[in-house]
Amino acid sequence: MRPNWHSTSSGASLKGAAIVGVCLVGLLIAAFLAFANFDFSAALKGRLDASQMVEDSAALLSDEERRHLGLVHELLRDDYAIDYRVVTAPSIADINRFAVERFEALLPGEAGGGGMLLVIDPVTNLVRLEIGYALEGQFPDAFIAYIEQRQMVPFFQANRIADGILAASELVVTRAKRAKAGSGTLGEIWLEGSGGGGATSRARIDEGQDPVTWQGSNVFQPGAMPGVTLAAYFKAMAARNGDPGLPLYSVETKKMLQNWVMTPAQMDGLVAAYRNCQAEPAIFDAMQRLAVLRYPPLERACAPFFFVREGGGWLLDLTMMQRAIRFGRTNAWHFERSINHPYKFAFADWRFDAKGFPQP
Amino acid sequence: MVASDFETPHARVDRMEAEGLVSASQAEMLRSSLRGETRTASQQARARGLPGTFLLVAGAVGVSALTTFFVAFSGDAPPEIQNVAEQLNEPGGYGAMNKSLSTILAIALLLVLPLIIWVWLHNSLVGREEKVFEAWADTQSTLQRRADLIPALVETVTRYLGHERETLEGVTAARSASGAEIERVLEALIEANQKSGEALQGLSREALQDEALLARLFAAQSGLSRGITSVLATAEAYPELKSGDQFLELQAQLEGTENRINVARIRFNEAVADYNAAMRRLPGSLVASVGGFQRKAYFRSEEEARDAPELAFD
Repeated sequence: MRPNWHSTSSGASLKGAAIVGVCLVGLLIAAFLAFANFDFSAALKGRLDASQMVEDSAALLSDEERRHLGLVHELLRDDYAIDYRVVTAPSIADINRFAVERFEALLPGEAGGGGMLLVIDPVTNLVRLEIGYALEGQFPDAFIAYIEQRQMVPFFQANRIADGILAASELVVTRAKRAKAGSGTLGEIWLEGSGGGGATSRARIDEGQDPVTWQGSNVFQPGAMPGVTLAAYFKAMAARNGDPGLPLYSVETKKMLQNWVMTPAQMDGLVAAYRNCQAEPAIFDAMQRLAVLRYPPLERACAPFFFVREGGGWLLDLTMMQRAIRFGRTNAWHFERSINHPYKFAFADWRFDAKGFPQP
Repeated sequence: MVASDFETPHARVDRMEAEGLVSASQAEMLRSSLRGETRTASQQARARGLPGTFLLVAGAVGVSALTTFFVAFSGDAPPEIQNVAEQLNEPGGYGAMNKSLSTILAIALLLVLPLIIWVWLHNSLVGREEKVFEAWADTQSTLQRRADLIPALVETVTRYLGHERETLEGVTAARSASGAEIERVLEALIEANQKSGEALQGLSREALQDEALLARLFAAQSGLSRGITSVLATAEAYPELKSGDQFLELQAQLEGTENRINVARIRFNEAVADYNAAMRRLPGSLVASVGGFQRKAYFRSEEEARDAPELAFD
């Protein structure tokens, strides 16, 4: 007879005791996790893809615009660890409170500390950019109000919602880049959520541009040399003179700028970007009709300026610059390779990579 | 003299007084509301967690693990083969050895579990109370931040009014009346700021148990909010002032701080509601009474308190 090592009743009892023991250990582990505030949702949460970064309940954006915005903000997240979401919704009772609550829902935990949430309500005509705790140092309320009112809203007035959001994102990238270069980090990254930082502004969607009578545009006259014209242009921008009929512009440029949105922040940004750029001597074409003022290739953010001689002075050819020059992810300029512009003569001695970036 | 970017609110008020932008009494009123040396509630909070909680739980885990280990291995290698026929229990009976193990486990459960539950409830209340203190510290900090911005607002508007008087040759009667109105509103703002500062300073942790005191503080803060709104609304009559970057910056900071105060107040009241509810629920109420926990007051107006629905926690 095969020996039986266990009696039936003692086996059941042993099993029961083991179950009780396991339950007790489980209970204690659960207690430990509760003491440690273990965040199960954070542990299970995965990475969001670009299309989910924009929620357009108010139907202000096309699918293409939504996708493009998502991709741009995905790059912002990859490069600077800023999780920037966009939500449009109609008839929000209190946009400030809505933004805080939505922020908590969309950006829980530490992700929220380095997060931004743009809320646009076309019915109450308000826009709010909510800022996570960790970003408050680099993006104070005053700067957010500046982004909204001096950059985003002018595009909204022209009913160009996506362009306004993207233009604002450019300023966010510029500031983030500067912060990263300065300190290596963007802020107190362990802070969670939002404490109500940011700013709310009137969105002014489709209200049209403010009627402006530009005063003193004639002060800014073209010079006998391109450098003189460029200096006058920088002065006009510093004075935030967005007159599309400035005497400094070529005929084609004036036509283009008639339907252009030129924001105060863009003008400020232009002046700031070129403040430390040292231009090389002007280069002229054989006919002395076209000219280029370029900067050393290492000054990657300083794109060249194109000039055309019209009516005895050198005028800015922003039309061709707008077509031929692009700015990359790191704000470095490059030529659009598919555009065959007439100013290539000034770059015959430079090398360019396959994407059109100048090589030192 | 030009205001420095890093100028402290105290230095700003001193300079404003020296430049004659504010009178001596106004300067004194502005100073009284500025950041003092008061300690925040969270700084005053004492540690109330039960000592040795970690050791207690670790000990309980150890006891439990040892018992489980003993159960798992004790039956594995008997010194000799048992005579099952002799050892077999009657149906429904227990093996002698495992009966003692079950008793040990049952005693362990009976002794350790209530202790763990008690510790857990106590520490849960401590955690909730700390959240209340933390939320209150945030609220105090945002209220003080707003008070620190008031001198800058007074200076910007006063300086603009002075500039307008100097540059406009013929000030119209309507413009003059508008100027007098904004000066009156500024005066009211300075007074409201002083009251708010007085109510805010020297608040101890015990203040969080005083509903009437917090309601008075709330009223003083609301008065200051109304004062700021009045100044910003009156400034609408001055498009040049309103459209300037400096005013835009100041307005954004003030509005941002107002929003932060609202958020901090909501979170403080939520933390208080959570703590008060936990304190009143059974068996938490037993732990609260033994541990000396006290109900906290909400930071809200008397009207809000009257309109608040009665919550049944128990």
